[in-house]
Amino acid sequence: MKKTVSIIMALTLMALGTVSFSRVASAEEVKMIGVIQKIDLAAGGKSATATLKDNKSGKSVAISITDDLTLDKFKDHRIVEGDEIRCKYETEGGKNHSKLFRKTAGC
Amino acid sequence: MRTKAIIAVISLSTLAAVAVSAAEHPGKEYIEKNGYKGPETCETCHPDTARKFLDTVHWKHASRVTNVDNLDPKQEYGMKNRIYTMCNGNDIVNNLKEIPRNAEGKTKFSGCNTCHPGNHLSDVGSSGKEAEKAIDCLVCHSSSYDFRQRKPSKDEQGRVVMGQDRSTKAALSITKPTVKNCMVCHESAGGGVLVKRGFAFNADTDAHAAKGMTCVDCHKTKDHKIPTGFDPNNWANDGVHLSCVSCHTEKPHKDEAYNRHTARIACQTCHIPRTGGAVAKDFTKWEKGSDGFYEPTTLKKEANETVPVYAWYNKTVSNTPHFIGPKGSRKDKSSKIYPFKIFMGKAFYNQKDGKLLSMDFAPPMATGDTLAGVASAAKTLGIKDYKPVPGWQTIYFGSNHLVTKSKALNCVNCHGVNGVLNFKALGYSDKEISKLTNPEIYFGFMIKKQQEEW
Repeated sequence: MKKTVSIIMALTLMALGTVSFSRVASAEEVKMIGVIQKIDLAAGGKSATATLKDNKSGKSVAISITDDLTLDKFKDHRIVEGDEIRCKYETEGGKNHSKLFRKTAGC
Repeated sequence: MRTKAIIAVISLSTLAAVAVSAAEHPGKEYIEKNGYKGPETCETCHPDTARKFLDTVHWKHASRVTNVDNLDPKQEYGMKNRIYTMCNGNDIVNNLKEIPRNAEGKTKFSGCNTCHPGNHLSDVGSSGKEAEKAIDCLVCHSSSYDFRQRKPSKDEQGRVVMGQDRSTKAALSITKPTVKNCMVCHESAGGGVLVKRGFAFNADTDAHAAKGMTCVDCHKTKDHKIPTGFDPNNWANDGVHLSCVSCHTEKPHKDEAYNRHTARIACQTCHIPRTGGAVAKDFTKWEKGSDGFYEPTTLKKEANETVPVYAWYNKTVSNTPHFIGPKGSRKDKSSKIYPFKIFMGKAFYNQKDGKLLSMDFAPPMATGDTLAGVASAAKTLGIKDYKPVPGWQTIYFGSNHLVTKSKALNCVNCHGVNGVLNFKALGYSDKEISKLTNPEIYFGFMIKKQQEEW
């Protein structure tokens, strides 16, 4: 009985450790440069999801954007599909939340 | 009684009219009925404005410059023709064009004058009726401008034309320039967002923006002539200037202790404790991007990520091939201590005369061959006898935005041990420094402030 309880407790602790560690890891800021494949502006214009193709990995990453400055750039097409973006994001609740979203190009 | 009622009705009507006019630009019905045809529509109510606009820095990208060393007072200088290491090209050598194909067979349009508010056929500094017709009034004055329209393309004659949004929709959203209108061009200068000046004008980064102010609340224009400060690296000007004192007076603080400083310390020194943007750039080596095009190698920093350097400045500028920065000294009573963003740029110099060479970006953008860019620019400028050698140039940029009240420097930030001011470099003796950094000078005042705050 004691052995069973110990095993259960150990497994519980391991599970808790894994969860808390992954929470810490997921809150880390990720930096990425990629090209916009798609912009989906939500109805009402209060949020958007931009899908970027990561220059390094080649993978598509969906980024959730809620800051007014970037949303305004989507609305008046200062940022459009095909633009290369320098982006920082944090993953929380299964979503990648944008912390910085800027075109790499300038004049 | 009846008279009173009439007066009340007239007053209310007037107030209502004022309120409407504040919210909405007059002429809506005219534009709806006639559509928008460019500057000629604007000139229906604002006659002769287009002609006058052609004489501004925003159109000419140049002006006569009187406070900078080694310039010809009869010539005009600015983005049109300057050669320095934040933008090693200029409107002349790096004119908007379709660049050669890169290794992947791709091409694109690029050039320094991409932001010029004309259509490129009427370009920087052009004049006459065609130029007047080509002005893109709405790119600065519409809050609904569709930037998909403002793209370069080739016309049937193969000329590069910059598109404009001249839709009725855009014209019906006429406004005084908003922060967005200004930042469309000004935030992406120098090769990317916040690269050149490194300031973001928003509520998080600037006390004026936090109060809802816009760029033109300080840079108040008359006839499209826009007042500017005296940034050592911003030469072209419309002949009108502004400073903090224009609104805040020479003695803006409640504490006389702070007011005593304003005679020799610029407002920016305490109220702009951070800078940002690119700190160094190498035009001799370009990095290849994911799209197969090359860009100058640039060390970038965010707004508020770097600290300024402080120097005496009397609003005149030293301009040599390896240094562009403030002139002034402690002894010069017209000098004040100002904060500056320091930038260092590497580019090619002509070994034969020591002068900085400029670069046409089209060749290196396609192939990474920076010397081909120098050769193309030299050909445009008629320079035949040159030998390119790499070298560094130091530039002091004025630090006039990112204003803070709550995080402004206080006594200890400068007078404490290891304070932000290098008193030695600013011309103070060891004995004076010892006195300036002794707590005796600020202790009582700061204790009083501490008691007030807590």
